[in-house]
Amino acid sequence: MDEDLIAKKDVLEEAGISYGQLYRWKRKGLIPEAWFIRKATVTGQETFFPRDKILPRIEQIRSLKEEQSLDELVQILAPEAAPETVKHDDPAALSPIGTEGRKLLWKERGYTFGELVALACGTHALRSGTRPAEAKLLVDLVRTEETVLRTPTGMTALLGEKAFEQEGFSVRLTLGVLGHEPLKVDRESRVKHRVDLEKIAEQVKLALREVT
Amino acid sequence: MESQSISISGSGRVSGGEYTQVRISGSGRVEGDVVAQEIRVSGAARFQGTVKAKEISVSGAGKFTDRVEADVLVTSGSCGIEGDAEAKELRSSGAQRIGGSFRGHYVRVSGVLHVARDMETDVFTSSGKFEIGGLLSADRVEIKLVGDSRAREIGGENIDIRASSGFSFGFSLTRGFRMGVGIGTLTVGEIEGDNVHLEATTADVVRGKIVHIGPGCRIGRVEYAESLDVHPEAEVREKVKR
Repeated sequence: MDEDLIAKKDVLEEAGISYGQLYRWKRKGLIPEAWFIRKATVTGQETFFPRDKILPRIEQIRSLKEEQSLDELVQILAPEAAPETVKHDDPAALSPIGTEGRKLLWKERGYTFGELVALACGTHALRSGTRPAEAKLLVDLVRTEETVLRTPTGMTALLGEKAFEQEGFSVRLTLGVLGHEPLKVDRESRVKHRVDLEKIAEQVKLALREVT
Repeated sequence: MESQSISISGSGRVSGGEYTQVRISGSGRVEGDVVAQEIRVSGAARFQGTVKAKEISVSGAGKFTDRVEADVLVTSGSCGIEGDAEAKELRSSGAQRIGGSFRGHYVRVSGVLHVARDMETDVFTSSGKFEIGGLLSADRVEIKLVGDSRAREIGGENIDIRASSGFSFGFSLTRGFRMGVGIGTLTVGEIEGDNVHLEATTADVVRGKIVHIGPGCRIGRVEYAESLDVHPEAEVREKVKR
């Protein structure tokens, strides 16, 4: 596994939290089951976490915990509790989408949570220089798979590109792929853009919280 | 919506649906998903489908083939749930078996509890015997050992495991073990908590802030942050202060 992992005891020390808090947050669903990675070490079994996920999450919980109850936090942070009933009218007001992102999927009103996440994926790609037509491809891909957003499975959506020459013409093919990491493409193709659905979904949830 | 009650006192079979009360005192079978205010089983019942109720009490033999959700689940007979179970309160003085995971707030075991996967609750108290295939997680774990209990992992804030009163009356624990006098034991892979007090427990690893290892314990490795004390009648192979 090439992911950067951090041992549970180091998480406690670095974040200054107790076992009680960690287990409580896990029970509430604030820390997804999938982040608990058990590995054999010289001293026996130990639990590790993806460093770039667990530390920011603890920070979020701690900064939001002041104003909100743990149950409210679950609504904001826990992917499986994603509000399927969300109908949001103004995606342009959400920072992960903005005016440029809204154009990728135009509706008068009533965007569902899945559509918002799809838009945020597209915007993410746009902002790193992907062409609008390709960003739209990503939006369509994620939008049809709304259910994956409700389970904290750590899925990734990516745009792959393959370029080849044919009878003097240069052809470029772009393909949208949705799946679990590690996702690989063949050697002649390249990954144009990669988004972590869980991360994007979180950004959308936080943005939704900010505008209400 | 006006919903009805059913009562089976001989032998019968009903289909699922929405009921105020379901009482089975003979032998009954409910086929399909059930939503009810109250379910009482004092005979033998088999529920085929998911069950959702405010209160479920089983004093006979109850079998649930799917998921069970309740505010209060009380078992004094034998209750088998093949799927996951969720209950704010679980009180079991009989035999309770859960084939999946359990989630709730308050659990009290004085009979026998068997959970195949995780048991997650705010409070877990036991003066019975339990076997948990996965993680037992609670803010407060209070266990009075009778019989031999097991769990793969225990984690939470306060973990307090006491041997049954036998040796507080002054007879040697090691002798108690040898003679097999009714002293309970606990076998766990890993225990993690902020305040950990253990007795008669065998564990591979114990991690905690304030750790107390009492008589009869056999621990492979203790990792502690603040303090550790080990009773002379306990065995700890490795101690690490973080």
